[in-house]
Amino acid sequence: MSNKRLVYLFGVAGHAELSPALRALESDGWEIVVPTVPGFDGESGFVAPDEYLDWITTFWDALDATGALPCPVVGASLGGMVAAELAALRPEMVTKLALLAPFGICDGDDPGFDLYAVPAPERMAHLFAKGVPDAFANRFADKGDEEAPVARYVSDIASASMLWPFGDRGTAKRLHRITQPRLTMWGELDELIPVSTSARWGSDVRVVPGAGHLLEWDAPDEVTSALRAFLA
Amino acid sequence: MKMMWFHLMPYPALPEDFNTKHHSVWVDIDPKLFDREVMAETYSTYIDQLVYAEDCGFDGICVNEHHNNGYGLMPSPNLIASILASRTSRAAITVLGNSVALYNPPIRVAEEFAMLDLFSRGRLIAGFPVGTPMDTTYSYSANPSQLRPKYYEGIELIMRAWQATEPFSFNGRFNQLRYVNPVPRPWQSPHPPVWIPGGGSVETWDFCAANDFVYGALTYYGYKMVRENVAGYWRSVEAHGKDDNPNRLAVTQFIGVADTDAEAYKLYREPAEYFFNRSLHVYPGFADAPGYVTEASVRARYKSQVRQVVRSKQAKHDLTWDEMVENGYVVIGSPDTVREQLEEAATELRIGHLCTMLQFGNMSDELTRYNTKLFGDKVAPGLRSVFSEYADPWWPSGATA
Repeated sequence: MSNKRLVYLFGVAGHAELSPALRALESDGWEIVVPTVPGFDGESGFVAPDEYLDWITTFWDALDATGALPCPVVGASLGGMVAAELAALRPEMVTKLALLAPFGICDGDDPGFDLYAVPAPERMAHLFAKGVPDAFANRFADKGDEEAPVARYVSDIASASMLWPFGDRGTAKRLHRITQPRLTMWGELDELIPVSTSARWGSDVRVVPGAGHLLEWDAPDEVTSALRAFLA
Repeated sequence: MKMMWFHLMPYPALPEDFNTKHHSVWVDIDPKLFDREVMAETYSTYIDQLVYAEDCGFDGICVNEHHNNGYGLMPSPNLIASILASRTSRAAITVLGNSVALYNPPIRVAEEFAMLDLFSRGRLIAGFPVGTPMDTTYSYSANPSQLRPKYYEGIELIMRAWQATEPFSFNGRFNQLRYVNPVPRPWQSPHPPVWIPGGGSVETWDFCAANDFVYGALTYYGYKMVRENVAGYWRSVEAHGKDDNPNRLAVTQFIGVADTDAEAYKLYREPAEYFFNRSLHVYPGFADAPGYVTEASVRARYKSQVRQVVRSKQAKHDLTWDEMVENGYVVIGSPDTVREQLEEAATELRIGHLCTMLQFGNMSDELTRYNTKLFGDKVAPGLRSVFSEYADPWWPSGATA
């Protein structure tokens, strides 16, 4: 395994393929390690863990299986919440922490758009401000017309069970334990976690104009530039 | 066949433009729509109607649980059942039911149901629905992935608590209780009969068959729509090696009786249109929380093209009265017409408990009582003989209606 490696923890829509921002880092020589996590892979037979701690250990099992840690960790959306917990509770495993609109802290007065209160075919559009990338629009298409929606449903079960009802699992209580160098970015037009919530993660959040929740897809140049500088 | 009288308790004054101006009748319905005078009067009227049903000879009176809902005003059916227990003396008090996964701990259900059974001296039917996604995962923010396992564990705990002869500890997946000892225990021993309302999932069929619980095919769309569901249940009963006693099944049906077919067609149109095209204006996004149904059920759904067409028609709320009648959503007509249809339905589906829905939509109190009395006097007697040769071990011991 390369010494120039980072772990990427994917967002609420699962991992379709590397975003343009991460492909840029890959072309810089970074090895991008993405763990395979049950449920998010859309595979049949998935049983959701009972509690948040069970989900965290599921992710840690998957991460440990990669052998990539310790290294920098980039976490987006739901993956950002996991990355923050990793940095807080297993600090020796995270050398640098980059968070892209992480879940984990919710403003009860403005909890954001309820992704799971719209029919399934309408969900993806709320994750991006500049249109749904083909990678997500066609996610699991290789499984065929009857199985593809089932796989998407399984992936939704995974993210929903982890975030229900609005993705606040008490991460704020552990923020003080994150002492690694940290980059936090947020899309100005994030529907799921309003940009106003970003202030709860610190005073140095970089807000990206015109970007939605999965900002690395909406604003690849700005995210790439920020990550390159941060990881250097 | 037993005649049950089932009340949904709908709010009778949703505005005419409700479908176009409001997002949903469920979950995020505007609370300002509910006038407190109307609410208070409505509760009083509806409770009186349930009591009246006993007077008209119905074997059981039924209530159920809904939350954040404009067509079902009973977030706590036990409160209503408590009143009914004191105001009636013969009919089965049928709570269909307590959504077990929403009670923390589920021992609360064991306690309250025991109290109801004692208030009524053994007339309680204990219903345990999973609960709709609207009620559970949205209105109460229950995690959809955990709902069913939590529900099953809750029932296990309740059944054990009712029958335990001494306090016990319970260290379960969702419940950790050191001293389980509900006081009081129910009147009925070993426990009140248990009915499980279901909407067609294989898991519920199997659960009922394996545990000898009554399966309640509680549909708003009538016996014709529930045929496939019921057939699946009977296959499961057979697969579990159980007898085919019709009293293993309860089915709901909206019904409108009048002196003539033509009169019934005229009288029940407005309340039916109110219910199906206004009360059921549910935003589709609230119907499918990921994890609420199993992967297998979703796979089956995507394969059922016919069901999707029907569902889409229902979801659009533009059903005509003729379609409602043709499809059997409401069985209407003279006493003979209604009796013939229901006898055919009961025989075909093997229905031991018919949950009549004789109040629906914005039906007036006057029409509700007319419907109830006419059914009780002229329809029910001809239906009671159906399957009368079967014993009903799922009937509460204290009910004598």
